[in-house]
This record gives sequence, structure tokens and C-alpha cells, in this order.
Amino acid sequence: MREKATTLYLGPQHPGITGNMMIKLKVEGDTVVKAQTHVGYLHRGFEKLMERRNWLQSFTIVCRICVPEPDPNELNYSRAVEEIEGREVPERAEWIRTLMMELSRLASYLLWFGGQNGSAGLYTMPQWSVGDRDYILDLFEELTGGRVYHMYIWPGGVRRDLPNGFTDRVLQTMDYLEKRLKQYDQLMFENTIFQRRAQGIGWIDPAKAVEWGVVGPPLRAAGFKSDVRIDDPYLIYDQLDFEVPTQQGSDVWARALVRRTEFQQSINMVRQIIDKMPGGPVYNKIPNPMKWTIPAGDAYVKAESARGEFGYYVVSDGSNKPRRVHVKGPAYVHGVTLLENILEGANISDVSFIMNSLGTCPPEIER
Amino acid sequence: MTENSLDKEQQIVNHLVGTFQNLTGKVKRNRRIEVSIEKKQITSVLNYVKDHLGFIHFSHMSCVDWLEDGYFELVYILWSPEQKIQLLVKALVDRENASVENADMIWRQLNTYQREIREMFGVNFIGMKGDKEFILEDWDNMPPMRRDFNTVDYIQEVYFERPGREDAQNVRETISKRTGEEIPEVATKYSRD
Repeated sequence: MREKATTLYLGPQHPGITGNMMIKLKVEGDTVVKAQTHVGYLHRGFEKLMERRNWLQSFTIVCRICVPEPDPNELNYSRAVEEIEGREVPERAEWIRTLMMELSRLASYLLWFGGQNGSAGLYTMPQWSVGDRDYILDLFEELTGGRVYHMYIWPGGVRRDLPNGFTDRVLQTMDYLEKRLKQYDQLMFENTIFQRRAQGIGWIDPAKAVEWGVVGPPLRAAGFKSDVRIDDPYLIYDQLDFEVPTQQGSDVWARALVRRTEFQQSINMVRQIIDKMPGGPVYNKIPNPMKWTIPAGDAYVKAESARGEFGYYVVSDGSNKPRRVHVKGPAYVHGVTLLENILEGANISDVSFIMNSLGTCPPEIER
Repeated sequence: MTENSLDKEQQIVNHLVGTFQNLTGKVKRNRRIEVSIEKKQITSVLNYVKDHLGFIHFSHMSCVDWLEDGYFELVYILWSPEQKIQLLVKALVDRENASVENADMIWRQLNTYQREIREMFGVNFIGMKGDKEFILEDWDNMPPMRRDFNTVDYIQEVYFERPGREDAQNVRETISKRTGEEIPEVATKYSRD
């Protein structure tokens, strides 16, 4: 006998994800029959705000678009402005930007470790990983003055050079995180409860993954060697030695394994960057910000964030304000069409778990 | 960069120019191509580049309001994972009764972009399934991302100051009165208020 279908509203507050988003679930018993993403709780009008601010004032806004990972926003905005204007960036600034991006990836993965386990009811991991993330935020604070929002990567380079002894402290943190990773393995990846919860859940059809717009770890977990850092190299990623890990399972477990490998890769990359970083200036000075105009033109730039391809489409009409800044975060696809699709047939208790595995981040769905 | 390194990009542009009437295109730089088409060609060009030229990954769709010129510019951004080339497809749509054909049958996720652009710019996508709101609920004003939508006017019309907050209308002036500090000239000159 078919059970009577009922409607369940999940959210807008969720364990483990940053921001607010509701999912309207039609359920029969414990099984989701239909899922519909419902956003509208977070729209802050950033893109409209930027049309009224000059190019440098807009730079202070972009990092606020995404809480778990603000740095790709700063980087993309700056790179788009530089591409339209043709502004050169000093080599050392490119290396420091890459260092920031990898530290940001590590911080974001630590938050994800917590969210993914928290949504499975395993609450030790969030305590550990969010605590460890603070060590990276300490580094950000020392370098930029801000723990979460840095406003550090700006058009023309970065705001200031590394403080004395900073690289030593980064290396110490990397050593610490590498040791902790072994403990994370014991707590998470060798944990039968996590394995049984994650395996076979939230499966994405690899045959349709590219066409559906899946990016980042979920795409790599479906067997595709796809990474913006390799496919369309930016910053100095072509001078670093790293692999793009893939898995074949295309489920929550496979995505977790991909992120686990990338976490180690990012630690290795940070060490390489510090080892090879050249000297020199870090900033190619911009004109008076109040009178700074950018030639008419447009650019779409993208970076590999911890959750996948993060893009910025920026248009200038030749004035001192952006004509249009349009942000595309990976969650724009992952959190709407993809999530709605793969939730069909899932158990209610797995909904948050699957959301986390896709890196759903509502603040970038509605900016 | 040598001329040869742009051969692949130029070949794609030439191919598209030879295939579609009224299509213009250029190589912006290494790995970056841009083509401009008429709005009635949108679905046919997107279908063609996806099926025949390997641009299978849909990266982004945007809309730019060129209020002074009277049109919206729709921009479709595609990526070819095989050739590692990014293609921008641009089409102009009149601002008055703006409407174009729906293209979400080509990439499913395009539906989300179109829903947002419909709400924020008022562009109608003919044949798009589902008329549910995406972000804005019960909105009966002008689409808010249009350039002629004045956010400040809207806020002043709709919202009101909480009683007792009247003295905080101008934060700089209020602080200046309390402390006796002078407001620097640069702060008033470049203030957005």
C-alpha cells in the first residue's frame, strides 16, 4: 500500500551549512519523492550595490558574498578588473595570492569536515575541525587584519607583504594539520558509521555530470579529472606540482575521499609556495581610487574554490563604477537543479548529509 | 604569444561565422572567444556549439542592462573541456517587452539563471516551464536589477525609521555634533548620501 504523501519544509536553518535556504520536500514515509529548493532569505543585493560604488569600494563588498570562502571572490574580482584594464600584477603578489587561495581552501575544507560529520550526527569532528580552522584564521588575521573577511587581494596585487616570520608560522600550522589529518582519518574515514552513512548515498550519474553543470569535488568524485587550476591555469598553479584526485563512486563517500586527498595536496602546495616564492614588490599601484576609471570591456574569470568553479562576470562601461558584476558560485547549480534531482528517492535523514557533500552555500545562490 | 597558438580559437570563430548568418566573432585572447548573434539565433547557436564544437559545459549566464541604448545584453558563457576554450555568446534584446526563446532544454541548469533574470530584469523567456518566483516574493515593483530602479527611493518609500532613531539620520553629522570634531572635507565631497 502506498503511504500518503506529506510535505516537509526543511530549513531555512540547517545544521552544517552556512546561510539560509529552505527545501520543500514531498515525502512518502521516509522517502523523498520530490524536492524543491526555495531561496529568498538571504538576498542582500550586492550586485546592485556595486553599481553605485566605485571600483575600489566594490572590492570591499565582494568578499562578503561567501562566508566559508571569501578569498576566491576577492581574487576573481581583482583578476577581472586587471584583465579588462590590462593591469600587470607583480610576480611575488601572484605567489602570495596562491598562498592565500590554498590556505582558504584548507580553512574551507575544515569547515566542511565539521559540516559533513555534523549532519550525520557525529559531533566530535565539528569540534576538532572548526577549532583547527581557527589556527588558519589566526594566520589570516596576522596577515590581513581580518579573520574571515580579508580584503587583502585587490586589483594590482595584494595589500601588503608577508610579516616577518609569517612563513615559519604557516609551515608550523601545516605540520600540525598534517598530524591532525591522521586523527581525522581515524575519526571519520575509518569510522564504520560514517562509511555506512556515506557509501551509495547522493549518487550523481557520471554520464550527465558535465552536462548538468557539476563542478569541483563532486565532478572529480564522478571520475572526471576537472580542475580550473589545471584546465585553465591562473596565478602560478602551472609552476606547482600537484595531482587532481578522482574517484569513481560519485556518491557522498567518493566526494569525501576527493576532499581528503585535496586537503593533503593543499598542505603540500603551501610548502612548495613558501619554498619557491620570489622576492620583489607586491603591489602595482592604482591611480586615485575616486578618479579611477576602467576602459569599457568585459571579462569572465574563474577560479577553483574548495567547492568548484567560482566565476565572476564583470562589465565596465568606461566609468569609475562597474556596469555589472555577476557572481556565479558552484552552489548556484549544486544547490538548485542538481540537489533537486539527486534528492529524489533519498531518505529524509540523508537530505542534509547530501546537501553538505555538494558544498551547498546559499549566500552565493542569492547574492 | 605567437599567431599559431591562436589557430584553434580562430578556426572555431571562422567555422561559426561560416555557419550562421549575421554572426560576428573574435578571438579575445588565448582560450577566449566571443561571438555576437541575433536573439532569434540563441537556441540554434547554443545547440550547435554544444553538439558539434564540444562546448558541453555551461558555465554562466548573465544579463547586462544598457539603459541608455535601450537594450539588454544576454551573455551565455560556455566551456569546452576538451579544447580548453571559453566561449561567450552575446545577444541583444530590446528593453521594451524584452523576450527571448527559452533555452533550458539544452542545459537543465539554465532554468535557474533564466528564472533569476526574469525576476531581476523582466526578460520573458518564451516557453519556459514554471512561473514560480525564485528569489523575490510578492514583488509588484519594477524588476530591481534594472538600471532605472532606484534603490534609495524604494527604501525611503517602503521602510520607515524606528521611532527614537531620528537623530541618527546622518551618522557623520551626529558624531560631529556630539564630539565637536570637524567632518573632513574629503568625507563630504565623496559621500554617497
